[in-house]
Amino acid sequence: MNDTETAAPALPAIRTAGLRKEYGDTVAVEGLDLEIRDGELFALLGVNGAGKTTTIKMLTCLCRPTSGEAFVLGHSVTREPERIRPLIDVSMQETAVARNLTVEENIAFCAGLAGLGPEDAAAAREMLYRVFGLGSVKNKRASKLSGGWQRKLSVGLALVSAPRVLFLDEPTLGLDVIARRELWTAIRSLRGKMTIVLTTHYMEEAEALADRIGIMKDGRLLFTGTKEELFAVSGAGSVEEAFIRLVEGGTGND
Amino acid sequence: MTDSLRRLRVLIRRNALEIIRDPLSLIFLIGMPLVMEVLFYAIFHKLTAQFEMKYLAPGIAVFAQSFTTLFAGLLIAVDRGSAFLTRLYVSPARPFEITLGYALALIPLAFVQSVLFFAVGAVVDPSILSFSIVPAVLACVLTSLFFIGAGILLGSVCTEKSIGGAASALIAGQSVLSGMWFPLDGMGEGVVTAMKVLPFRNATLLVQNALNGTDDPRADIAVPLLIVLAYTAAVFVLAAVFSRPGRDG
Repeated sequence: MNDTETAAPALPAIRTAGLRKEYGDTVAVEGLDLEIRDGELFALLGVNGAGKTTTIKMLTCLCRPTSGEAFVLGHSVTREPERIRPLIDVSMQETAVARNLTVEENIAFCAGLAGLGPEDAAAAREMLYRVFGLGSVKNKRASKLSGGWQRKLSVGLALVSAPRVLFLDEPTLGLDVIARRELWTAIRSLRGKMTIVLTTHYMEEAEALADRIGIMKDGRLLFTGTKEELFAVSGAGSVEEAFIRLVEGGTGND
Repeated sequence: MTDSLRRLRVLIRRNALEIIRDPLSLIFLIGMPLVMEVLFYAIFHKLTAQFEMKYLAPGIAVFAQSFTTLFAGLLIAVDRGSAFLTRLYVSPARPFEITLGYALALIPLAFVQSVLFFAVGAVVDPSILSFSIVPAVLACVLTSLFFIGAGILLGSVCTEKSIGGAASALIAGQSVLSGMWFPLDGMGEGVVTAMKVLPFRNATLLVQNALNGTDDPRADIAVPLLIVLAYTAAVFVLAAVFSRPGRDG
């Protein structure tokens, strides 16, 4: 590159254009135009049925959009799912662990599935022991762990493949306040290392963790921006108050 | 080894461990049928030819396989309910690798099951050692494919709560329609016809005839084998349709 050239703008990690998903007569997601930057932690908020999980399912190639298009790291979710899968991982609302395998075996399983070699698998295991504290329960079967530990393991397993984009669908659902704060600390430690898309019902979670926030209602995106922009648009002083005003008012900036 | 084979090996190991480490599965897949084999032989073998070991051991081997449907289905239903299957579908593993991972994990178990039932049968009644045990074990592996496929299908359409009832219907079907517990004489024509066209009696006949030998291999081996394989193909095709990612929305 010579001095007169400028660096090309980085590709967004995620870009959707007119994304729509219908289930029979129900429109779950409608006209979603969204851009999530590489390396940012983006929180997607919405009441039940707002379309958050459906959006994540489309972005992770678990279901096809009815119309519109979405790109993850430049790859189309409809035409190139096999190129997207090695680059992403997901932790869904439900705890997803192999119940009769130990914590260590669960990690080895995910490493094997991702095709990691012995050194990378060992590095992933040590990272999960360090970040999530799983080393203290490494020889316990997942079914014998408490709900909080199972949740940590479930979220942690999504990191084994070192994804470039991580989807966390309500990762702290059902956790007590201590376990939730511990998981927040773990998620914070990942900021900047990968792009994270987080859906949550807990407004304080979005406030504490997110670089930018998106608010959905009835399948449509009402707002995207930083906390400060959200406060400015809504006239509120907290994410929770701003969320209520936007969702009840039905207007935002999108 | 290709990436696909590596992933398959990882999936098979995990699925096998999940089932082997569940004490209930070992009780129903091996323990209870073994007790039934010994007890039924001890009580009934002098009363009716049906309970001679050369008929009882193959019958029990296939009956025990019907519990494979329950535990394969339960594993998949739990994986679906807990989003573990979603984790697999988001991974680089392809859907056919995931389905194959469930199926191949259970075939060695079917092999071990049948070897055990014939081994215990030989201890109780050494006369069955003079029959064709190796072909019978191979026939058992073939019939196990139907029950494994049925488990994958039921696991793909049932919930963790409903899989027990659905698989129990199949276990009852194998028990009643295999004809291993009571003679066909006196049964209604409709029941006998159902037994002839459904896979249950054909699976049992296949293994019994493979063990005892036959003068008419076409009628006694090929026909039941083709019927069982046709049902096996059908359940695997349906399982592939119903287990595809995104089916749940």
